[in-house]
Amino acid sequence: MSAAADVDLRVFADYDREVREEADVVVVGSGPCGAVAAKELTDAGLRVVVIEEGPPFTPADFDLDGGLSMARTLREGGLRTTLGTVMPTMQAICLGGGSLVNSAICVRAPEFVLDRWCTDFQLAQTRRADLDPHYDAVGAFLGISPTPENVLGPRNLLFKKGCDALGISSEPISRNVRGCRGSGECFTGCRSRAKQSMDISYLPAALRGGAKVLSSVRVERVLVEGRRAAGVVGRVVAPFTGRPSFDVRVRARRVVLAAGCMATPVLLQKSGDLANASGQVGANLQFHPGVAMLGVFPDLVHPQFGATQGYQSLHFLREGFKLETLWAPPAVLAVRMPGAGFALKQRLARVPRSAIWDAIASCNRSLGSVRARSRGLDPKLTWSLHPDDVPILARALYTLARIFFAAGAQVVIPGVHGIPEELHSLAEAEVLRTRRFRASEFLTGGNHAFCSTRMHGDPRRGVVDEFGRCHDLEGLYIADTGIFPQCPSVNPMWTGMALAHRMAGRIAAGG
Amino acid sequence: MWIWLLAAVALGYAVSRVALGYPRPARRFHSLSRSEVSFLAAAAEATFPPGGEIPPSGLDADLPGYTDRLLVAAHPRMRLLMHLLFFLVEHATLFFPAPGRGGWRRFSALGAEQRAAVLEGWRTSRLFPRRLVFASLRAILTMGYFAFPPVLRQLGLAPYEIRTPVCEADLWYPRIGASRSSLRLSRADLTPSSDGTPIPLDAPLHPAYRKGAR
Repeated sequence: MSAAADVDLRVFADYDREVREEADVVVVGSGPCGAVAAKELTDAGLRVVVIEEGPPFTPADFDLDGGLSMARTLREGGLRTTLGTVMPTMQAICLGGGSLVNSAICVRAPEFVLDRWCTDFQLAQTRRADLDPHYDAVGAFLGISPTPENVLGPRNLLFKKGCDALGISSEPISRNVRGCRGSGECFTGCRSRAKQSMDISYLPAALRGGAKVLSSVRVERVLVEGRRAAGVVGRVVAPFTGRPSFDVRVRARRVVLAAGCMATPVLLQKSGDLANASGQVGANLQFHPGVAMLGVFPDLVHPQFGATQGYQSLHFLREGFKLETLWAPPAVLAVRMPGAGFALKQRLARVPRSAIWDAIASCNRSLGSVRARSRGLDPKLTWSLHPDDVPILARALYTLARIFFAAGAQVVIPGVHGIPEELHSLAEAEVLRTRRFRASEFLTGGNHAFCSTRMHGDPRRGVVDEFGRCHDLEGLYIADTGIFPQCPSVNPMWTGMALAHRMAGRIAAGG
Repeated sequence: MWIWLLAAVALGYAVSRVALGYPRPARRFHSLSRSEVSFLAAAAEATFPPGGEIPPSGLDADLPGYTDRLLVAAHPRMRLLMHLLFFLVEHATLFFPAPGRGGWRRFSALGAEQRAAVLEGWRTSRLFPRRLVFASLRAILTMGYFAFPPVLRQLGLAPYEIRTPVCEADLWYPRIGASRSSLRLSRADLTPSSDGTPIPLDAPLHPAYRKGAR
């Protein structure tokens, strides 16, 4: 007998009629936060239904081509952008959410950030000491540990070399990975099955514990009865095309929205502007805008080998940026190369001798919004890089240039309009430090999104409390990075999972 | 009377510019029109000319074919934007003409040097929207170029063959589009998980990227 019958999972081809379910808790979204919540709630003995709009991806479904992979695994084909400051940003649509196609970076939010959250947003129990037990629990389950040296490869080790030479602290990145082979394919799906993405870690644990997972179901509305959330309704949708078919209705005493910072507000707005007495649903959208720099070395770097993002520096967190190494499908990386024609080909030919490193910036002054479009559930994102935050990006790039030259790079390509396309020395890179830039001159990417349903101790100023419980509506919880009150300054996945872990414990305890 | 005549001439020119004179493609495309195929072929050749440090050209890499596949996979709104992008660059020579004789002709009708100059104009423009248009077009073309196995092979960046372990989830998840009843794996099929042995740099390439695969 096939092992498929062991668990209660539905995929698109299995639906042949409308779906009616009852549960103690329905979790909308199977990304890192939703998956953790589902497993913990199941372990607590609750009947849990998890709903995910995307399909499960098997290794045979992964596409090694960067462009087509993005088109298949990301919403809006990976071409979603913000309005205002135009910037690409991404949200996954697959079982396991972003964990399937991210680089598995796990960093605890720094103490000073969480202290600021508590002070500025009237939170009493969200300091680092409050969250550490939850970080620990998630970390133990996923095997979060520093990237082993044997899979760092030259691309990561050159970063360490440059940082060491300048006295900048750096470290191997901790990741939810077991048995990494250094294939550098995190963004298109780990063929080694080493990355502990949610589809092969938390969700199987939830399934084993008795949770029901409905994939290929798009939730369209939260059901409300009286002053309580009472479930969700939606429709079965075909993978990739999104074509709707059968109706789905799940009744539950508690609804956990973990659809992601860009989808949860839309769902609330489409449900009759739910949980929005504060007016904060969809407001305060923040990103970690990212910039990247490519450095060309005299010798082969073999950048395709090694952990996708294996090394980082937290040295400049208080100055507003974090530095990381990076690799991505060459098709995606090459998009950053300037030029066309033979000049472009010449630059592309140097990729084997290149490393690419990036910076993510904390831009707490740069705010935006998530709004529902009149049709469909795709969000309309507006966001502007505040002029006072622009120098952070320039400083980050200048610092990367310093590290590159200290590591022995001959040339760096900053990807900034209005300055030379190639900088051959630190003296030439000074332009990054001395020139005043406009937001539109940077090639930024909208990494990590937050704050669109922020937590606040004051119900008039936030959507949820610090345990993810909606201020306005009984039985409704939010468990994604939208509840962060500000950007966390570091990669958000582990903090999101820790908060979801804590929230699940509260629900299980009847809170 | 003259106004009507001028309007009729302008309309006739617009129709002929947008719709006439495009060659019939050698094969069928799912999403691209005849004019878009011509435009993409021209843009591919201008962005990745034959020869140089990476010999294959944009046409060798069949960038119109790749773009067609990308359009099929794209979100409907993005698909519309991509069609508009191609139309815009093809006909914006009316407003941003190429240097030299007949620089106002549609992009695909220009000579190689004129095309390169037009793209350079978009790329280095002081206007952010123009640079954005160039970046969007070049992103599509570059992704397609790197999807051509000989390019990655030449650079030594082609993916390796990796034997994927069978984990518990593989017993439960069918391939996309298949039913769970199609699954035949049992617990006896599980294999040890990855032991963390680094992939050697001389490991065999993924079959799709080996020489002669395409």
